[in-house]
Amino acid sequence: MVSVLFPLTLQGVAVRRQGKRIIGPIDLVLNPQGPTIVIGPNGSGKTTLLRVMHGVERINAGSVSWAAQDRSKHAFVFQSPIVLRRSVAENLAYPLRLVRTPAAQIRETVAYWLDRIGLGSVQNSPATRLSGGERQKLAIARALVRKPDVLFLDEPCANLDGHATHEIETLLQEISAAGTQLVMATHDMGQARRLARDLVFVLDGKIHETGLASEKFAAPQTAALAAFLRGDIVR
Amino acid sequence: MKRLLTTVAMLLWAQTSGAEEMRMAVTTSFDNSGLADVLLPAIKADLDLDVRLLVVGTGQALRLGEAGDVDAVLVHSKAAEEEFVAAGHGTHRREIMYNDFVFVGPKADPAAIVDAASAADAVQRIEAAQAPFVSRGDDSGTHKAEQKIWASAGLDIAGFGDWYRPVGAGMGAALNTASGMNAYIVSDRASWLNFGNKGDLALLYSGDPALFNQYALLPVNPDKNDSIRNDLAVKLEAWLTSPRAAALINGYKINGEALFVFNATP
Repeated sequence: MVSVLFPLTLQGVAVRRQGKRIIGPIDLVLNPQGPTIVIGPNGSGKTTLLRVMHGVERINAGSVSWAAQDRSKHAFVFQSPIVLRRSVAENLAYPLRLVRTPAAQIRETVAYWLDRIGLGSVQNSPATRLSGGERQKLAIARALVRKPDVLFLDEPCANLDGHATHEIETLLQEISAAGTQLVMATHDMGQARRLARDLVFVLDGKIHETGLASEKFAAPQTAALAAFLRGDIVR
Repeated sequence: MKRLLTTVAMLLWAQTSGAEEMRMAVTTSFDNSGLADVLLPAIKADLDLDVRLLVVGTGQALRLGEAGDVDAVLVHSKAAEEEFVAAGHGTHRREIMYNDFVFVGPKADPAAIVDAASAADAVQRIEAAQAPFVSRGDDSGTHKAEQKIWASAGLDIAGFGDWYRPVGAGMGAALNTASGMNAYIVSDRASWLNFGNKGDLALLYSGDPALFNQYALLPVNPDKNDSIRNDLAVKLEAWLTSPRAAALINGYKINGEALFVFNATP
């Protein structure tokens, strides 16, 4: 299923901070049919690119346009999300309260997501006491309670152990199959191979290569992507 | 009036290090201005303090403070801030800096607000022309300021037609929507100057004293919960009111134009 929000078009986008180019110029059209994974070395501009797409990074040149303007259909999960100093359940209820969702619907939605992410037994505990993996699952669920069409994730499994990573990848595969479009940055090539339908390779703040993940992994078009996939240091 | 779904973008800037860490709720206009990019690294360097930002509208920022989810709030809506302190949610209110709100709109200016005599006159002209107008619609300081202007002009937004479009989004996103629709919008000057997707929009009206925009810091009352780091909020306040902060704030310019004026008193 393709969201009506797409295609997303970036034309000549550049981000500069204090005289330094962070990304750009970037021309990119995204019209994904499945998870889009953004890969690239640390510092290549993956996070900035995601923030630009989400509309929260100031651009210094170019334009970003979606097929539809409804930003309530976007959500973003950060690498190190803040959980509110409230219970686990209240963290899930928070985005729904912001839009004055009826109490019964909040209870029902929170119960569903608590069950879905396996945190029902700690629903009344302070969220700040959760483990890293549990916090990340909570952050993803919190981003999903309002049923976004598009979910951006910035390295959601960084610093997590294998078990937590597996749980989160399973959750992401399920929500993708249910129709939420995922756009995710990772430097974990194993994770990219497991999740990606489309691949965007970012190098030195520019789109170096993009296309179907299966084709890019099998036959990269550029020496830089080939080297990156081999695990070489690429600058 | 078509009401778009409201949303609040809660964005986090995360740094992980051995430094102490506090949370501050700030307005999207402050974030969109780019000033945080200058101040946060300096705070880290000077105080060894990571300030994690929750970027929301003023109304939501104050509610996060009320719930004890953050250690301090940096917002721009004086009446709401004074209520916050009076209700015991904040220890006090400290003015830090100011800029102003401006009217942005299509260069063709179909409502002719470039000739407006006041901010109230500008919105009367927009209403008379039924010209597309994008509102933040998110209970932010900018949204509250815009509502105040409509009210001062004797106009009730409840009766407006589809030309009035509340988007329930932060300043950058709302400006993007206005750019896409070629619509009028009220923005803080800093966000407008720092906005890169201007399209066919231009700054059309500013200068009415009613458009003054004061930013203030409110440390959250530490009695709310044991997690609140009032000590760090106090440390941050001392830095934000220091000559070092004054130099950085006054020196932050885009195309030679200052975005904020430091006005904290010792």
